[in-house]
Amino acid sequence: GLVQSCGHIIPESPVLALGSNFTALCILNESCLDFGNIYASQIIWKIKNRVVPKEQYREINRTVSSVTFNDTSLLATPLTCNILADGQIEQNIYGITVTVGLAPEKPENLSCIVHQMARFTYDMTCTWNPGRHTFLDTQFRLRYSWPEETFPDCIPKDVNNSCTIADIQFFVNTEIWVEAANALGKAESDPLVVDPVDIVKPLSPQNVSVSSGALPNFLKLFWENWISDTVMTLKFNIRYKIVGDTDWMEVPLEDTASPRTSFGIQGLRPYTKYVFSIRCMKEDGLGYWSDWSEEKTGITAAD
Amino acid sequence: LGAGQSIQQTYDLTRYLEHQLRTLAGTYLNYLGPPFNEPDFNPPRLARAERVPSATVDLDLWRGLTDNARLAANYRAYSRLLCYLRVLDGQVGTAELRHRLAHFCASLQGLVLSIGGVMSSLGYPLPAGPAGPPAPPGAPAAPNDFLKKMDDFWLLKELQIWLWRSAKDFNRLKKKVPPAVVTLRLEARGF
Repeated sequence: GLVQSCGHIIPESPVLALGSNFTALCILNESCLDFGNIYASQIIWKIKNRVVPKEQYREINRTVSSVTFNDTSLLATPLTCNILADGQIEQNIYGITVTVGLAPEKPENLSCIVHQMARFTYDMTCTWNPGRHTFLDTQFRLRYSWPEETFPDCIPKDVNNSCTIADIQFFVNTEIWVEAANALGKAESDPLVVDPVDIVKPLSPQNVSVSSGALPNFLKLFWENWISDTVMTLKFNIRYKIVGDTDWMEVPLEDTASPRTSFGIQGLRPYTKYVFSIRCMKEDGLGYWSDWSEEKTGITAAD
Repeated sequence: LGAGQSIQQTYDLTRYLEHQLRTLAGTYLNYLGPPFNEPDFNPPRLARAERVPSATVDLDLWRGLTDNARLAANYRAYSRLLCYLRVLDGQVGTAELRHRLAHFCASLQGLVLSIGGVMSSLGYPLPAGPAGPPAPPGAPAAPNDFLKKMDDFWLLKELQIWLWRSAKDFNRLKKKVPPAVVTLRLEARGF
């Protein structure tokens, strides 16, 4: 038949803040008292299999005993309530699991970047400092909204300090923030308000090619920009070196500070092989430089 | 965000929407199939199409619009167009097209918010509800597939014209409302 338990502990399965104090009560069933001739005074509290010192017990009444811990960091699982009746072996009445941890701290250093993934695809990745380890199951959510419009939360996968939102929208100021929550509390980061178009890292210039003309000191670069000018106009950074050299030379930024798909480089050595690479970013300087493009070579004409 | 910056942002969003719609409309009309995707397809505007706010306006009338009336017309039009577009978004069969329509709807929602932001920054009240008579109660759904597709065709066409018109509206407003920086400097000199 079903064995009826002779008592129970409250609280049932507590989650406790590290360093706080905690009291549990073991409550015996009246039916067991009559039958088993047992009393709260005979209760023995144990953590795992280690007996809790009696000074921490208190007999509340005939059926209830309490145990108090001034610092939960001494606690472990399970916490059990056991009875040692006269002339009998010790018997377990009830046990609970105890989880000890910390409430989440306020996530800090929230920063976001919009990666251009393809010609028309822009994903925004945000990273943050999650704060101290909490020893508890802590949920992080990246949240973002417009006035009167909230979007689905971004739930990080396998990490607790970053999340990527697909298909971000441009030209609307977006409020972004992080929320951390566990059984002991919730915390929110300071909000970041930004127009995502101002934090874009564009794709690098594509299909770079180098053409040499008749002039021995001159080569011309051509490339494609894979970001629509309705999203942003670009400025460029061009570097080049003689094949085999280690140091790059750069075209002065002011010379390539406006939208273009080609650039001529002068002052090169005749009949010499050069390697070129280009990167781009938003013309007004907001956002991030793209990665450097694929390197392409060209040879200047002979003198 | 100052009024000038808000208008600039709204203008940029309008042009971005125009850019998105250019490719999206082509894809959608191909999804509808002939004759809707044929370049020279130019059907008469049926009475049904009147539900969709028309962007066509007399030039002098357009020039004479006050800033408030100009913005309110935009606000009401896109609020209504968005409703129709969301209906469209829910019926499309292909996942890719549905995804792009959803993204476009979100962008359009952003435009409605932005226009509302410009109006607030200029001290204008938001229009209470979409312009023109609400669709007559019980407006019949398209009786057949062809007319349903015609409805979609006219929705996309009007949307393209509205975006083209709005870009001109906001470009006009941009010139009238200088960015905050300039305003500050003017004020500093006691203008």
